[in-house]
Amino acid sequence: MKTTALSAMIFAVLAANVHAEDIVVIVNPAAKPLSKEQIVDIYLGRSADLTPIDQTVGSSIYVQFYKKATGRDAAQMKAIWSRILFTGRGQPPKQLPDSAAVKKSVAANPNAVGYIEKSAVDATVKVALPLD
Amino acid sequence: MEALHRRVGRIAEPQILFPLIAVVLLAAMWVATVGIIRLKHTEAEHDAAVLSRELLGTYEAQVVRVLREIDQTLNLVKFWHERNSTQGALSELKDRGLLPPDLVFSVSIADRDGTVVESTRQLGGDSVADQDYFRKQRDGSAILVGKLPQGATGDGKLLFSKRLNGPSGDFDGVVMVAVDAAFFVSGYDAAKLGEHGVLGILGTDGIVRVRRSGESMFSGDALDYASVLPKPDDADAEPPVSRSSWDGVWRWSTAREIYGFPLAILVGLAQEEQLAAVRRDAFVYLSWAAAGSVGIILLMAVLGRMSWQLAQSRLRESESKLEHARRVEYLAYHDGLTGLPNRSMFSKLLAQRISEARRYNKQLAVAFLDLDRFKQINDTLGHEAGDQLLVEVAARLQGCVRASDTVARLGGDEFVVLLPEIEDGKQAVVVAQKILAVIGKAFTLIGHEFRVTASIGISLYPQDGEDEQTLTKNADIAMYQAKAEGKNNFQFYSEKLNANSLERLTLESSLRHALERNEFRLYYQAKRDIRSGRIAGMEALLRWEHPDLGTVAPMQFIPVAEDTGLIVPIGKWVLKTACLQSAAWQNEGLPPLSVAVNMTARQFSDEYLLQDLASILKDTGMNPQLLEIELSESLLIHDVETTLRILTGIKSLGVRIAVDDFGTGYSSLATLQRFPLDTVKIDRSFIGDLVGPSEDSALADAVIAMGKSLSLTVVAQGVETKEQAEFLRTHACDELQGFYFNRPLPAYQFAQLMRAQTADISYVGTRAGLLNPQL
Repeated sequence: MKTTALSAMIFAVLAANVHAEDIVVIVNPAAKPLSKEQIVDIYLGRSADLTPIDQTVGSSIYVQFYKKATGRDAAQMKAIWSRILFTGRGQPPKQLPDSAAVKKSVAANPNAVGYIEKSAVDATVKVALPLD
Repeated sequence: MEALHRRVGRIAEPQILFPLIAVVLLAAMWVATVGIIRLKHTEAEHDAAVLSRELLGTYEAQVVRVLREIDQTLNLVKFWHERNSTQGALSELKDRGLLPPDLVFSVSIADRDGTVVESTRQLGGDSVADQDYFRKQRDGSAILVGKLPQGATGDGKLLFSKRLNGPSGDFDGVVMVAVDAAFFVSGYDAAKLGEHGVLGILGTDGIVRVRRSGESMFSGDALDYASVLPKPDDADAEPPVSRSSWDGVWRWSTAREIYGFPLAILVGLAQEEQLAAVRRDAFVYLSWAAAGSVGIILLMAVLGRMSWQLAQSRLRESESKLEHARRVEYLAYHDGLTGLPNRSMFSKLLAQRISEARRYNKQLAVAFLDLDRFKQINDTLGHEAGDQLLVEVAARLQGCVRASDTVARLGGDEFVVLLPEIEDGKQAVVVAQKILAVIGKAFTLIGHEFRVTASIGISLYPQDGEDEQTLTKNADIAMYQAKAEGKNNFQFYSEKLNANSLERLTLESSLRHALERNEFRLYYQAKRDIRSGRIAGMEALLRWEHPDLGTVAPMQFIPVAEDTGLIVPIGKWVLKTACLQSAAWQNEGLPPLSVAVNMTARQFSDEYLLQDLASILKDTGMNPQLLEIELSESLLIHDVETTLRILTGIKSLGVRIAVDDFGTGYSSLATLQRFPLDTVKIDRSFIGDLVGPSEDSALADAVIAMGKSLSLTVVAQGVETKEQAEFLRTHACDELQGFYFNRPLPAYQFAQLMRAQTADISYVGTRAGLLNPQL
């Protein structure tokens, strides 16, 4: 178990270093257009218009997404979601292990919103917002 | 009531009123300010206490929910495990979303040996066998709550564990839920709790699981559980401020035990923070109060000052009104130019003085005075010079009169002099003469000397009138008469006085010119030694030979000279002439004889007396020892101190002093002894009746004896008969003077007498010393 986790971490780090890829926010093809503010509000727990999906907490895409979208790091996000959870105002986003899983979930749920690498985009999902 | 009124009045004075108002306002303001601050303080304290209770309630609900969820999770896993006894419970539960969020919670299962067989997240090590709780769970079954070591919480996790049982209830391992300790205080709202409030959880064992103040979180502090929790009765009361033992901050803090768990929650609000707002406000209020104080003080100061100034200016105003009123009154009664009383005032005064004179049976004189040819001077020199002249005249007139007399200006160049309480009209004459003399002196106007004269008209009460109108009318008439008589004179309304004064006036004006016209002569009368009969000395006597009046007796003109002051220059002439004569005679070879010269009171009191005497002696080269000044006894004793001073002065020049008319004054021996005298001359009145009844001879005797006791040369005056001479000789008189021996002779005749004496041997040794009186 430990070795699996360790190698996963190494891989993530390597992956992060090898390609700091462009991330896009994806929604269900049937979903309405979204502004950046709306996406940020959803991912900060301020809005429940859509159901946010996270990738693994602490993973490179996770960190990058939050950095680009909200300007916050992992620790800050943890604090934000802890607070929301603790005060009973909401639940932290569901964590999915990779972009494929995210795509699958978003494609199946018109209320979902997620983020994947730009390269992973396909016809099953709609790009709501590219992040730079 | 009166006292109260006064008190109130005193308070109304600006210097008391305004400070008083200021004090009252200041007091009110400060009392209100302090009151408000206190109120706000109490309010804030109350609010803080209430808030901390409120927050406690909210926190309790939140913590309880989390604990319940943890409990439920533990129970769920336990149930599943005990039911199914298979692996993979966790992943299955997780997939079904039955486990709490990954973000904060992690669930693990350890087997009976302590090996962690499943976990939602990797934790610590693989074995928990050595853990405290593992051992405990082996023995018990309650939920256990883990601890963290003392220090910053960081990522520290609290471990909640329950025992897993095998089918037969034996120990089969432990299920654990690990939660970030920080999660329990993630709801810390800095807006309500501030930076130094506290939110925390502690176990019933007193160990703090996590506490948060601001951003910092700590765990592991050991507290006295019993003292942290409130007493049951105080549960609903407002918590007091206390000092938190873990960081020393003063807080309103409350704690409450959680039902069903060995935990309690803790909420606290920092005193300083909660009161910070109040303190700020207090500062603002105090600043405003201070500013207000300054404002009030300034305002009151300004108002007070203004009020005071107003009072001052009112005072000044009323003073100047008073001053003005006085001035107006003054002007109503006084002449603007000279300051003398004006017509109106004079009129009043005259009426007053008339009634006084009536009451005390006295006379009074009203003298109208008009400056002759004033108009001409005014026209020639201008009004400024004219005014100057009037002012000077006014001053001089005032100098001629007594303090009780009044000089007034009636207008233009008309003046009036009021002489109240006189005994005799003659007093008015004297004053009128003085006035004419004084007006006659030169005036210096615009740099030049001018002379004016005056015409004076005098009316007397009661002769010339008994009321104001009559007297003034008659004085006016008299004045016009004076003008008609040729100006520069005075006239009485009544005839009688006019005649006397006319004579006197004539005499006086002649006397003025007598000196310059050389009408005076000195005659010399011999003084003879009583034993030898020889001429021992002489007395110089003044004679006046007027071309028209003839020889004027000294008794007639000396008083006039004395009154007018002409005696001074005349007297100087006498002294000078006598000294010159004496010197001349000595030059001719005649024996040096003493010369006695009379001196009057006026001469004696002249300020230049000693000066003149000294310069005469010097100029003439006269031996002072030969000069003898004769002064009457009554003159000497008039003012003893002054007399003494002058006599000493005369004596210091070397001149001799004789007392004339001795026995007629009322001097005492003691007084006379003080004076530096050389000779005493017995008045002729004592000599005249010598040979008659014995009282007179005794009297003369006494006088001689007195003279002798003063060690003075005694001279008898007015010796006219042989018998008198005989008597005097037997009474040890030293010298004799009188017609019996020699009449006063003119200089050349006297010289002859002296020569005859020197030449004739028959004179020597004759004890009788009787000479032909014809000589």
